Formats: sequence, C-alpha cells, structure tokens
Amino acid sequence: MKLLNLTNRFYIIVALTLLLVSSVFLAYRVIYLIDTETTEHMLYTKLRVEQQIIAQPQLQKVAFTIGDNIRVEPINRFSTFKVQLRDTIRYDEYEEGLIPFREMTYEQQILGEAYRISISQRLTQNNDLVSGLTITFLLVAIDIIACFYFLNRYFSSSIWRPFYKALDTLKKFDLQRGGQVRFETSRVDEFNALNEELIKLTEKVNSDYRNLKEFTENMSHETQTPLAIIRSKLELLLQSDNLRPEQMEQVHATLDAINRLTKMNRGLIMLTRIENDQYAEEELVEIGALLQSRLEDLELFMQSRGLSVETVLAQDVSVRMNKYLADILVSNLLSNAIKYNREGGKLIVSLFADSLMVSNSGTPLSIPDHRIFERFKRGDSPDSVGLGLAIVKRICDHYHFFLSYRYDEDLHRFYVQFPKERRNNA
Amino acid sequence: MNILIVEDEKALLSSMTDYLTGTGMHCDTAETLEAALLQISNNDYDCILLDIGLPDGNGFKVIEAMQEKDHATGILIISARNSLDDRLTGLNIGADDYITKPFHMPELIARIKSVARRRSSTERKALIFHEIKLIPDEMVMYIGEKMLSLTKKEHELMVYLINNPNRVLTKEAIAEHLWGDHADIADSFDFIYSHIKNLRKKIIDCGGKDYIKSVYGVGYKFTAE
Repeated sequence: MKLLNLTNRFYIIVALTLLLVSSVFLAYRVIYLIDTETTEHMLYTKLRVEQQIIAQPQLQKVAFTIGDNIRVEPINRFSTFKVQLRDTIRYDEYEEGLIPFREMTYEQQILGEAYRISISQRLTQNNDLVSGLTITFLLVAIDIIACFYFLNRYFSSSIWRPFYKALDTLKKFDLQRGGQVRFETSRVDEFNALNEELIKLTEKVNSDYRNLKEFTENMSHETQTPLAIIRSKLELLLQSDNLRPEQMEQVHATLDAINRLTKMNRGLIMLTRIENDQYAEEELVEIGALLQSRLEDLELFMQSRGLSVETVLAQDVSVRMNKYLADILVSNLLSNAIKYNREGGKLIVSLFADSLMVSNSGTPLSIPDHRIFERFKRGDSPDSVGLGLAIVKRICDHYHFFLSYRYDEDLHRFYVQFPKERRNNA
Repeated sequence: MNILIVEDEKALLSSMTDYLTGTGMHCDTAETLEAALLQISNNDYDCILLDIGLPDGNGFKVIEAMQEKDHATGILIISARNSLDDRLTGLNIGADDYITKPFHMPELIARIKSVARRRSSTERKALIFHEIKLIPDEMVMYIGEKMLSLTKKEHELMVYLINNPNRVLTKEAIAEHLWGDHADIADSFDFIYSHIKNLRKKIIDCGGKDYIKSVYGVGYKFTAE
C-alpha cells in the first residue's frame, strides 16, 4: 500500500470514528438540554397557573381545562408536595396518531384551597430537532473531512514527489552499466539528507563493484602467462625419458589441476568480457540452425550416455545478438543438459517463436533453484568448473533475455525468452 | 623445420624452444620486436610463432614485414584469451592461425605443422609415418597400398598423432584438440579410448603395426619404438 493511501486511510478511520462518537454525544447533549428546557418550561407554566387562579376569582374552586395541556381540579384535601413527572404516549386527534407527551402532576394549595393540577407538553418537535441537528452536524463534519482528505492528498503528493522520483532513479540504477544517480533538491530536509546518503552509498557500491571487476579482470588476465608457463614446463617434463611411472602420474595430476585452473580462468575472462561489452558486434543469429549444428557436435556425447533426444524447432527464429555469444549460450545450455543428465535420460530441446527451452532428466537440485545460475555452483561432476550457467545468465542479462529455471515431472527445465525487440519475427 | 619464436616471457620461450627442439625442429628466438625483425631479415623460416604484445612494440609489424618479403612462412599468433581483436586483426593482415595461452604443447606442434603444410607445395601435403600415409583434407588413410576410410574424429585424431610422434600426449590435450570447449562434457576420455581402439583395429586389420602405445594413467604415445 502506498504511503499516501496508508496515512489517508488512517486519517479517515480516525475522523469517522470521532465523528460517530461526537454525533452520538451531540445527540445526547441536545436531548438533555431540550429535556431540561421542557421541564423548566412546565415549571414556568405551573407558576403561571397559580398566578391566574389567584388573579381570576372565576377560576377558583372549579375544575377547568386549558387546551390539551392544562387541567385543574379542586380536591378535598392536600396530601403531598411531590411533583410527578412522567413521559407518556397519547392519542392525538389532530395528528391522528400516538404522540409522546410529558406530563407533570402535582397538588397545590392556592388561597387555602387544594387543587390537583396536571400540565402536559408534546415532545415530538423535540425529537425532530434532535435528528435535524445531528444530521446537519454530520453533513458539515463529513464535508470538512472530505475537504481535508483531498487537500492532504494534493499536498502530500507534492511534498512526497521528490521521494518518488528518487525511488524511480534508484530503480533504474544499474551497476553493470556504471550507474550514476542524480536527485533533485527538495524543500524537505529529510529528503535531501536521504538523497545525499543515497548518492554516497551508490558511489561506494560503484567503486566497490569496479574494484571487484578490475580484480577479477586483472587476476584472470595476469594468471594466463604463469599458467601457460607451468603447463609448458610440465608437458616438457612429461616428455623426459627417465621419469618413473609414479612420477609421471604426479606430473599428470598437476597438469590436470592446471587444466581446471585454465578452464576457470577462461570462464572468468569470458564473464568479464561480456560485462565490459566486448562482444559488441551484433547480427541476426538463426537459433534453429545453431541448435542443429551444436546438437550434431554433441551427438557422440548424447549417444554415449544413451540419451533420448527430442527436438521441436520452430522455423525462422532469429535473434539479434553477438554470434559468438549465441554459440556459447546454446552450447552451454546443451552441454549442461548432457552433463547433468542421467544415464538413458531425456533431453528435450524446444525452440518456439519467442523462446527456447532445454530440458533434461535428472535428480532434483541440492541447492535452492535461484542459486543455480551463480558462479561455482556446480553439481556432482568433478570435471566441471561451475561457470557454464553463470555465463548463460550473464549473456541473458546482457541482452535482457528472460531466463528461468524450474524442476518438474523429473525434468530440469531451462527457459530463455527472447524479447520482442531482439527477434526478427516480432 | 626452421621456427622463429617471438615471445617476451622468458620461461615460456624456453619451454617452447625445448619442446620444439625435442621434436626435431630448429628454433631461433626473439624477445623483442627489434630482435624479431632482425631475425626475419637474416633468415628464412617455415613458421613464426608470434606474441603480439612485445615490450618494444606491436607484433603486427612482424607480419607486415613478412608480407613485404614474399615468403612461404606460416605465421601463428600466440595470443592472450581476452584479445579477440588482436587475433582478428592478425588474421586479416596475413597471419595463418592463432593459438590462445595457455595452450597444450602438442596442440602447438599440430598447429605449426598444419600452418607450415598449408604454406608448402602440394606434394608434401600427405602425412607419412612409416607405412601409414594420411591425406589431410580427405577422410582416408593408406596402410601401405591398402586404403581405409576414417570418421571425421578418427581422422583428426590420426593427424594429431602423426604430427606428435614419440611424445607423451595426455588424455586432456587430446580431448581438447578433438572437442575444444566441449571436452569436459561427460567422460570424453572414454571416447578417446574407443576412438583409439577403433583406429588400432583398423590399422592392424590392414596389416599395419600398432604404433599407439598407452601410457598408463596419463595418455598415449604414438611411436615406432
């Protein structure tokens, strides 16, 4: 969830809760106020009734009614000072329905005579008032919240814009292309501080990466000559007539180690060369023909392991890339599928209009799937150096091919998808 | 066969010289461009092994100087792995082939012989070892008068063996010669073994002698001894 939405959602939830609570409070408060006001009004009426009876002798010692609201009747004996207040429902002829009323009943002595007086007051208008007030309050409050919501959205998005821009810049950051990052200055100090740190960090990453690359490059380059010397000396030694068989085997074992080192060296050099964009020449390479010719080269190896080979090659699939790298890509995928196949297993090569899949039988990996393309992650083949798939990965990355691996139905499947802009048939 | 080795790395130069001399070639050496140019102006060579990166200049000058000389000399570039451009330039201006460091010595011999043969006159093109005669560009071999056909790999293997007589050839060197970068797929040594077995059988069936000796645990030796 976006930061903006998150804060907004938080604000809205809090505002709505507050609104709900305060509208309930408001309603009760209004009800309470009206209630007290009604009672007070009735007490005032009570006083007025008393004054009228005193003032008008014709009202004394008789029972009378004023409207629906006031009823006075003389009683023989005054019995209590208690004023009874109760809410009741009465049939109202005018409204033709039951209407809530408040009724106040009390006894009073006026000019020595005892009266029972009851005063009542309709409550309906009060309820209408309460709901009217609450609704008005709600409407105003919702208006305000909505206003704040949109204002907040607007201001936040303008305040956070430098942050999102910086994020975007970071997403496009590519180490292999020697990524330089640049951020725009913001009014917000925290963002500026963040950007400064990011610039420092990426510069550090860049220089570390450059150093590492240079190290690998120098290492593999500078070891070539010593390796050539060691190998030549050992091969020379192997030709001496007076070597005992066990000495010969020792020389051979050393040579064998040198061979592995040489292969490793070659692989690393290839990786750095791809990284340094030293295979810049590109042409449309027909993948089907390439696969066919590599499969022919490898036929002997496939036969010897008793592999059953299935090929489904789509016609006329050409990809714009370096010819040599295309060869390496295809060869490495195929040789990997032969090397790690089981005796009498399957090798399936499928070329589609936009992708290539190479599958081979074999036991599941002992390492997590995603690590299969890492350097020196090799299977149980002692002859292997463990750079073949790393090179495949690097080639795919270089051309933005989508490379994936999965294992299902007893098959290791390597899938290379060629992007549209590199295909002839797009 | 007269060879000029141009290489500034002394240790490598000396082992190449020793190895090549051991196969009966005559070697002159040069560690600098100046020395190399002097050598080619004074002598004729069948083949020049040329390292491009020399302390006092670019080895391409040697190729250019040879072009002016109207020569029959094969030129084999010895290059570092990561200098593809050097190899291409070299081939474009007149070199015959290249080999990348580090290389197997028998491979170097095979390349030298093939380069020298391409430069020489036609009648010398057949490879001959006692009663065995091999025509490089055809898949056939003669044992005395009898002709027998070979598969492509058997033929390549036979050329390699005849070019490297009396030398111990490791299985790895043979595998790399035959399959290049694919050599480490599966057990290529089994294939070498079966190719050698087939070759032996074919040669013996035609009345030839078995010149392919196993060197236990190491590889093979092609020898008449």
